Amino acid sequence: MTAYTKNDVLLQAKDISLYYDDKCILRNIDFTVRDIVRPGLQQGQVVSLIGRSGIGKTQLFRVLSGLQKPSGGTITVRERKPVESGNGSIEVWRERPVRAGDMGVIFQNYYQFGWRTVRQSLLLAARKNPALAGKEEDAIREYAGRFDITDVLQRYPAQLSGGQQQRVSIIQQLLKGSNFLLLDEPFSGLDICVLDKVTELLLQVSLSDELKTLIIVSHDIATTVEISDTVFILGKESGKEGSTIIREIDLIERGLAWRHDLRQDKVFVDTLAEIKGCL
Amino acid sequence: MGGLAAPHFKSSNMFKPFETISRSSLLIMVALQVLFFLVLWQLSPGGLIPGPIQILDGLGQLLATRLLFDNLLASLVLTLKALVYSIVLTLLFSYLSVLPFFQPMAQFLVKCRYLTLTGLIFIFTLLTKDGGALKLSLLVFGIVPFFMTSFLSVIVRTPAQEFELCQTLGYSRWQTLYEVIIVGKADQVFEIVRQNFAIAWMMITMVEGLNMSEGGIGTLLIKYNKYNDLPHVLALQGVVFGLGLCFDYLLGLLRHWLFSYTNL
Ligand SMILES: Nc1ncnc2c1ncn2[C@@H]1O[C@H](COP(=O)(O)OP(=O)(O)O)[C@@H](O)[C@H]1O
Repeated sequence: MTAYTKNDVLLQAKDISLYYDDKCILRNIDFTVRDIVRPGLQQGQVVSLIGRSGIGKTQLFRVLSGLQKPSGGTITVRERKPVESGNGSIEVWRERPVRAGDMGVIFQNYYQFGWRTVRQSLLLAARKNPALAGKEEDAIREYAGRFDITDVLQRYPAQLSGGQQQRVSIIQQLLKGSNFLLLDEPFSGLDICVLDKVTELLLQVSLSDELKTLIIVSHDIATTVEISDTVFILGKESGKEGSTIIREIDLIERGLAWRHDLRQDKVFVDTLAEIKGCL
Repeated sequence: MGGLAAPHFKSSNMFKPFETISRSSLLIMVALQVLFFLVLWQLSPGGLIPGPIQILDGLGQLLATRLLFDNLLASLVLTLKALVYSIVLTLLFSYLSVLPFFQPMAQFLVKCRYLTLTGLIFIFTLLTKDGGALKLSLLVFGIVPFFMTSFLSVIVRTPAQEFELCQTLGYSRWQTLYEVIIVGKADQVFEIVRQNFAIAWMMITMVEGLNMSEGGIGTLLIKYNKYNDLPHVLALQGVVFGLGLCFDYLLGLLRHWLFSYTNL
């Protein structure tokens, strides 16, 4: 068993509910994402929200991203904030409600401005990141090389393949520099080869910073479980309207996190069966 | 895609729903149809209505003097001036329309499409200092509501995704306005100008009739109309038509050249 501890709360959803008119879509959604610390590693977090189609995943995704105000409850994120003290500026941690812009959001269709070339889009995002000030172009070149899109930097979104669009969206949000990356169905519509590349890429991202937290919304159970450390299952409880988190599965405890050879593992297979049973 | 690949003329494809035909086939087809129509026109007993040959004759006479050229130039300059003013005003009011305070004014301007100009000519005459200014202001007043209607509907139809991407990138409202509306819709401004250019071109002949001192193709038309000189009237009509099509084509080219992503 790998040594790890779960420390500070990075994100907390407290009693989230969402109604459209009088129709309850989400209710009593509570969960926390903690910073996972592994000695000698920059271990980020990969959390997934799994549920069957129509259960409210997209709505929860929008609430988490700050694009949709919940009818009730709060999402708080923890961030480092510079404050002025007697002898200069120091950084302190503070918690505050999520705002649109806090999360790096990767939409399912990887939408990009049609009138901007890839390079321009990435540059606009990089300029939003104070940590990159003056080094935007270098950062773009580096990411583009790493994620294999150097050839398409001068193209427009309409000229890219689906896989390229996805990588551009991911890089764009990484350049923006937020610690949270929210991904809506990142595995849908990808063929097997590209799928492996994408999971590899996401793992790479999760290992790039101690605080990087990926939140993956998906209905592809196997792929999602493979790369996650925690799974939340969104479902309905009998007799109640609206979806909520009906189970939380800690994949680290089960020895299923941070491994590559899961598919044949008995525990992995059992876990998939368990999740399917919940849906 | 057999229809696209085959460069030769295949008449059976002409009557197949949704069939795409090659460019050369299209050109041949159009040429034949135009020719057929012209021959039919020439041969039909028209009475007072001149045939194509007489009209061509009239055009020749017009081209022989500087008359046509000078008057066309006057009309073109006026149209272009009116277009520039109209575009500037349309953009200004349309961009402002995203601020709630300016919504009512924008909406009012759009509704001005239903005002008929004829009843306002006198008021405009009182408000302007000379014939040139009168014509220009009437044109602008006639064009802006149509431009605004088109552009506001482009703004309203902006997909929510464009705004949401801005939000997730942490853009302020003003940055969003700049990115999504001003930069993102610039190509559509061209398309709107192109589509509504016809209105300007149609109105020009009308307003030129109001003030004949500066000439213009509208003035010419009215003069020839007065003498029932139909070959010349129709020749002028043809020139107006042809120039309009030319403009349409040029604006289209310009749009593709300026905003290459619209070709994708
Ligand atoms: N704007 C809306 N108004 C009313 N109901 C909505 C709206 N958007 C989504 N819903 C409802 O919310 C439920 C969850 O939808 P969604 O989050 O898209 O599901 P999922 O992403 O899990 O497939 C669906 O039953 C859908 O009908």
